[in-house]
Amino acid sequence: MTDTLAIGQRVDRADGVGKVTGRATYVADLKVAGMLYGKMLRSPHAHAKIRSIDVEKARALPGVRCVLTAADLDHVDDEPASRAHAVLAKGRVRFQGQPVAAVAADDVHTAEEALDLIEVEYEILPAAIDPLESMQDGAPQVRQRLVENDDSEAQAHATVATNEVKPTSNKPTNVSTRIHFARGDVARGFQDSDVIIEQTYHIPHVHQSYMEPRAALASWDHQGHLTVHASCQGIFALRAELASILHIPESRVTVIAEEIGGGFGAKIQPIIEPITALLAQKTRRPVKLVLSRSEELIAATPAPETIVELKTGAKRDGSLTALKARVVMDVGCFPGGPLNNVCLLAAGLYKFPALEVDGFEVLTHKASQAAYRAPGAPHGTFVIESQMDALASALGIDRMELRLRHCIATGDLMPNGHPWPFNGMRQVLDAIACHPAWLERKQAPNRGVGFAVGGWMGGLQPASATVRMDRDGSLMIVTGAVDLTGTHTAFRQIAAEEIGVAADQVAITTANTDSAPFAGTSAGSKVIYTIGNAVKAAAADAREQILEIASRELEAAPVDLEIRNGKVSVKGAAERSISLSKIGQVSTAIGSKHTPVLGRGTTTVTQQSPGFAGQLAEVEVDPGTGNVTILRYVSFQDVGRAINPTLVEGQMQGGSAQGIGIALSEQLVYSPDGRLLNASLLDYRTMTAIDLPNIETVIVEVPSPYGPFGAKGAGEPPIVPGPAALANAVRDATGCDFPDLPITPEKVVNALRQAAATS
Amino acid sequence: MSKQILHLTVNGEDREILVQPYQTLLEVLRDEIGLTGAKEGCGTGDCGCCTVLLDGKPVTSCLVVGLQADGHQVTTVEGLESDDGLDPIQQAFVRRGALQCGFCIPGAVVMARALLNENPNPTEAEIRWAMAGNLCRCTGYTKWIEAIQDVVQEVKA
Repeated sequence: MTDTLAIGQRVDRADGVGKVTGRATYVADLKVAGMLYGKMLRSPHAHAKIRSIDVEKARALPGVRCVLTAADLDHVDDEPASRAHAVLAKGRVRFQGQPVAAVAADDVHTAEEALDLIEVEYEILPAAIDPLESMQDGAPQVRQRLVENDDSEAQAHATVATNEVKPTSNKPTNVSTRIHFARGDVARGFQDSDVIIEQTYHIPHVHQSYMEPRAALASWDHQGHLTVHASCQGIFALRAELASILHIPESRVTVIAEEIGGGFGAKIQPIIEPITALLAQKTRRPVKLVLSRSEELIAATPAPETIVELKTGAKRDGSLTALKARVVMDVGCFPGGPLNNVCLLAAGLYKFPALEVDGFEVLTHKASQAAYRAPGAPHGTFVIESQMDALASALGIDRMELRLRHCIATGDLMPNGHPWPFNGMRQVLDAIACHPAWLERKQAPNRGVGFAVGGWMGGLQPASATVRMDRDGSLMIVTGAVDLTGTHTAFRQIAAEEIGVAADQVAITTANTDSAPFAGTSAGSKVIYTIGNAVKAAAADAREQILEIASRELEAAPVDLEIRNGKVSVKGAAERSISLSKIGQVSTAIGSKHTPVLGRGTTTVTQQSPGFAGQLAEVEVDPGTGNVTILRYVSFQDVGRAINPTLVEGQMQGGSAQGIGIALSEQLVYSPDGRLLNASLLDYRTMTAIDLPNIETVIVEVPSPYGPFGAKGAGEPPIVPGPAALANAVRDATGCDFPDLPITPEKVVNALRQAAATS
Repeated sequence: MSKQILHLTVNGEDREILVQPYQTLLEVLRDEIGLTGAKEGCGTGDCGCCTVLLDGKPVTSCLVVGLQADGHQVTTVEGLESDDGLDPIQQAFVRRGALQCGFCIPGAVVMARALLNENPNPTEAEIRWAMAGNLCRCTGYTKWIEAIQDVVQEVKA
């Protein structure tokens, strides 16, 4: 590897000190003069008609400045196009926790007291809660009439071709999307199989559980211009949604990104910003609205429940024959889930000559869903990677060998008929295969080792950035990107490397929507991959301008110049040089003949570089309690090029922990009538420090031809393989299949008892 | 309800403020005193983002009624930093990259400080148990443990 100035170095995060000292500002920390506090009244029922809402007592409470219901708004429809457009329920509620009224008051306690004074009369209706029942004719309908599906959120994450089956009737149905992929002769394939594995897998609704509950602060000026301080993943996307929902031009909305306390895909859909803006408009005062944790769990946008019937076949010699899958995804009360990703990965990671996949996106009377880190990918990977282990044992073939023999390579066809883009799936498998944790695994009672590998296609979006040189010769990146994961620090490294300075010579700022160059939403593992390229191009442009100024000052051609140690000098004649600070001065001084240095980068990447990740778990199962202890956990990932290994490891470890949570403990539990039964972080169990071992990391680098310095998206892949790796490890320890997540102690004990009874 | 006078010492400064009897210590710190380092992640004592020291002991300040702190000493994350710079735990968290979104970090570094004050030489298991009430959704905790172990080694050296 060549020497670098900044790429590949463990540069400290730019935001580190602010965050460890408590000085970093999140929306809930903001307080402005005259500010009111917003709160929403939510439906206790999953499906009900709203007969009446009486807000008189609430309006009369001292300190209450405004109470809104749908009747006060021009902006809501009884059949809204999307969750974001469903600002307040009109006529009917379709999930527990749907907002029916909103209050702005002098303080948060008064606002909460006012909610208790609002009287709503509901007529409770039968609700469709179970997705398989909801698909049936005669189930209670979530939509009363057909509306165009809004798939903008699915598009924000992964740009992949689908094969949608258009509905044949105009009648509303709870099946909001159907997709179908097929190739080869599936029936023949199964006929020719010596071994067939069939299993139904279940991945429940889980919650992204960012530590910062959603928060927004909105205010309007006297000219009707809206400013929103947001905890959001994309400032331009939020501005577009607000303008659309409020029916005002985007130029009359300014979005300012404050620190975001985690999003993981959920903080893309604006489910609180529109009502906060409307409360502020009505009261002509700034309004801050912060959700409680129980509101987050009950009524935000969790990840979809997925049921997959999967059947695979193989011949005794280990060749694969056919795959058939039926995928049902419960997306709650609005469409737009990652069904396609589940189908493509479930059927697309290994080379089955014949396959048939049917996918159904189903609406239910539950909170609508949002992305959660690599949406759909852990699901698709869990089912196929569980089944590859089952196939390997039935065939008596080593599970690593079976995978290495059949894993896809660049150019192999995905189920949608498109070739797999350049990827490192095999290199990730190889890295696991030669790791001591795999090679030196030992057989011991109640212990097991499992691994899995999965991928993420990655999103694409045009991007721009600028790099400016200031008077003292330092450089400033101006971006509209939200820093979720440390990408701002990586941007500094990219710009520094391109220009030829150290990373600490480059600062970065997130501008607001009025002044930032366009940047896409921080989602889809596309920040470094797409916006990083724009930063690199802007830095290259700035470098050219720096050399141009130096060329005139030094009377040498730009090609003969180099930037080193804070100076531009003539190659081979280091004494002929000009410092960068001097260039900063002469390019900004009054009366100067030079122009200021303003590098501009506008790029659009049109080729994907899927990121593959593998994980290996060594577990011990307590047969008495069913408890699964993770003894060792190794996370492998192809990131193309690790711009900052510390940041990459952080992604790998955090993503692994979330995947382990899906595997072992996380599940939103609903009653048959659609009420959430575990609406606290005590009952909805994310991984704690005592649940996990140190997560080891192995960075694999198969450089992308398209990403900056070879980088691929790093954020999402590490959540993908965990559920399958754990299920396979527990299978290895117990001999039992665990197709139903999470693998709770109760399920382990039951499986062991059942196995003992039948043996 | 009428407001009452609360006397307390926060990060070494004596305070006398009017508070509602139902306000939590977290609300008093954030809304009345303006120390917004401690965060509300759940409001029910499950996440640890609001951890502060009350007479040197870690508490989830969302579960402490403000008036219970009357006459007591409170240390928040803002109090870990001094004129000499950051607390070694804060430095180690930055150096190790033990933070991402940062929302849980004020509570986590306060908890880690409480641990090391009580037990300057904890084992990995003791660190994990001490930090188990501080939820983090970004890091998977590995770099937390490394950062705290760094500080243990620095103190030994």
